[in-house]
Amino acid sequence: MELKKLLQQWNSFPELSMEERPVLSSDLEKIVVKNPLSNAFYLKKKLTVRIAIIFVLWLVNSWQFRHQWLADGNELYPQGLLFILLTYSLYFHIRLLLFADYPTLLALPLLNFLGKLETILDKYILSFRLVSAIAGFYLLFGVEWLLSRLSTGAYKTLSNNDWYKWLILIFLSVSFYILLLHTIIPRYLKVLNTVKKYKEGINAKAPVK
Amino acid sequence: MNNSTKKDGPDTDLRSLLKNQHKKVYSICRLFAHNYKEHQHLFASIIAAASQNIRSRKANSEDKQTMLLRACINMAALHSISLEMEPAADRTIQFKSPDYQRCISQFRETMGSVSDIDKFRLFMEFEKVSPEEMNGLTGIDISKRTAPAKKESETARKNFIPYLKEKLIWS
Repeated sequence: MELKKLLQQWNSFPELSMEERPVLSSDLEKIVVKNPLSNAFYLKKKLTVRIAIIFVLWLVNSWQFRHQWLADGNELYPQGLLFILLTYSLYFHIRLLLFADYPTLLALPLLNFLGKLETILDKYILSFRLVSAIAGFYLLFGVEWLLSRLSTGAYKTLSNNDWYKWLILIFLSVSFYILLLHTIIPRYLKVLNTVKKYKEGINAKAPVK
Repeated sequence: MNNSTKKDGPDTDLRSLLKNQHKKVYSICRLFAHNYKEHQHLFASIIAAASQNIRSRKANSEDKQTMLLRACINMAALHSISLEMEPAADRTIQFKSPDYQRCISQFRETMGSVSDIDKFRLFMEFEKVSPEEMNGLTGIDISKRTAPAKKESETARKNFIPYLKEKLIWS
C-alpha cells in the first residue's frame, strides 16, 4: 500500500456528504448522554442488580444464622456455609464493579482497555460458579420446605441426615451450573474469546523496533 | 439558576470541542464502517464515549484531544469485535451519497485488506499524531518489544508463583 496515494485519496473525500455532515447541537444533546458500550460489553447494571440481591439474601441469612447459632439448630452448618458464601460473593461482585470502573474504561489505551475488558468478562463468567453454589443452597431449602408440606417422614429423614443434605446440595449446585453452562455462559464466552483473539491479533501485528 | 449555569459550563465546553473535532471521528468511521447504518452508529458511539472520557477525567485541553482519540480507537476496536461475532454480517460497501461511495471504494481498494492495528496507524498518521503519542493511544510500547525472550525469562524469575499471581491480581 502506498501511503502517498492513500493520502491523496484521503484528501479527495467530499467536504460535505450525507455521511459526513456538520454536527448540530441538537444531535450532540442526544448523543453525549448515551451509553457508548453495548449490552455485551456493559455489565454494570447486571452487577448492581446482583449486588442488591446478594445483599438482601445476606441480611436474611445473617438473621437466620444468628437464630440457628443461639438455638444450636439443625441448620447451623448449612446456614454458616451460606453466610460465608454470600459474604464472599458480595465482596467478589463489589470488587468486580469497582475494578471495571465503567466511566473511565474507554479512556484507557487500546491494549489496556482490551486487557481490562477481558478480565471483567473472565471474572463475570467465574461469578456464575458462585451464583450456582448460592442457588444450590436455596434450591435445597426449597426442597426441604416442599417435603415438610408433602411428606413429614421424608422431611424428618432428610433433616436428620447431614450426608443426604450435603449430597443433594452438591447435586443441585452442579446441575444449576450445568444449566447455566448451556444457556447463559456461552454468550459471554463468545464475547471473551473474540476480545482475546482480537487483542492477540493486535499484539502479534504490532510493530517491533 | 446559578447551579444550572455551573452545570452547563463544562458541558458547553465539551459540546463545542466535539463540534469542532467531529471530523476526527468521521476519519475513523471511514476506515471501519461498511455502510451508512454502521457509520452513523459508530459515529454516535464514539461521540458518546469521548464525552464520557472527558467528563470522567476533568482533563485539560491537550488531554481532551487524547481522550477523544482514545475513544475513537477503542470504539472502533469494539465495532470490529462486534462484527467478528456476527460472521453473517454484510460487509459490502454501501453508502448513500454517490461521491462518498466512490471515494471510499477507491480508498479501500488501494488500502487492501490490512489489519486493524495498521488501520489505527493510518488513522494516527492522517490525524498527524506524533509517534510518542501513538504509544499512549494504543498502549503498545515499541521500545519494550525489542527482546521478548529475555523479558519473559526475567518476569518468570520475579514471579515465583505466576499462576497464583495471575489468579489473584486483576490487571
